[in-house]
Amino acid sequence: MELDPVIHAAARLRITATLAAVPPGDQMSFPRLQELLEMTAGNLSTHLRKLEDAEYVEITKTHQGRTPVTYLALSKRGRRAFEDYTETLRNLLGAP
Amino acid sequence: MTESDEDRPLDPAEMLALIQKQERAVGLTYVAPVTWLYGIWGIAWLVGFTMLWAGWSFEWMPMAVAGTIFGLLIIASIVTSAIVGTRIGRGVRGASTFSGSVYGISWTLAGTAFAALGVGLAANGMSSELASLYYPSAYALMAGILYILGAALWNTKSQLVLGIVLLVIGAVAPFFGAPTNNLVMAIGGGGAFLVGAAHFLLAVRKAR
Repeated sequence: MELDPVIHAAARLRITATLAAVPPGDQMSFPRLQELLEMTAGNLSTHLRKLEDAEYVEITKTHQGRTPVTYLALSKRGRRAFEDYTETLRNLLGAP
Repeated sequence: MTESDEDRPLDPAEMLALIQKQERAVGLTYVAPVTWLYGIWGIAWLVGFTMLWAGWSFEWMPMAVAGTIFGLLIIASIVTSAIVGTRIGRGVRGASTFSGSVYGISWTLAGTAFAALGVGLAANGMSSELASLYYPSAYALMAGILYILGAALWNTKSQLVLGIVLLVIGAVAPFFGAPTNNLVMAIGGGGAFLVGAAHFLLAVRKAR
């Protein structure tokens, strides 16, 4: 059983798990995501870029007044990849 | 943790534990504020309705003072709920924003409608004794229905239990007559909120 190399890294797994908790159709702002993950902005950006390259995460850049805000959401593909990954882990571990 | 450390894959058991730990951490940010909400409403109901009861029962407690304390407690709880509610959903936008806004507004709409009905009944001869039965029950029934609606929206069993308890209390309280109906509100309603708060406090402690 192959584990998805995009998610099979601690930082990206935590990002994906956090975004998977956001209901489909919703987006989470970069600062809120950063707060929930306790990661530095630079580190989070780097991993988000990798997830975006794999088309797992959709990034929306917008403005609230004059402040630029970035919103993140798992794509359908990303959500599916996370579910497959979790299932593969459970199968590997023989968990129900 | 350096970047290369974070990129290093852990073994499957560690990865699964990492997912569960993160899901718990995210869940806690939703659950922890609810403890505050239920605690504040519990105190407002317990103290507020006890004051109303005392206002009707004892001479040393003027009704104007009791009513003012009750009103201030309810307003303070509404303001706290609005602040806590916005904080729970901060940084998240999209489909759920609509549900959240509609739910928030429904409290104001329902509250105004029930209050207007009371005024209408009073204008048609409802005595102050009957009004003292109507308002607490109308308030409990409104809150009960809205908590059940919240349970349906967010899939939360605690809101369902709370909603049912408030419906029962609102329906039953008038049979006790005034001013005892206020004590039923204080102990039953306030008690239900405080039990809910304790339940969430324990859940949060356990998860941490």
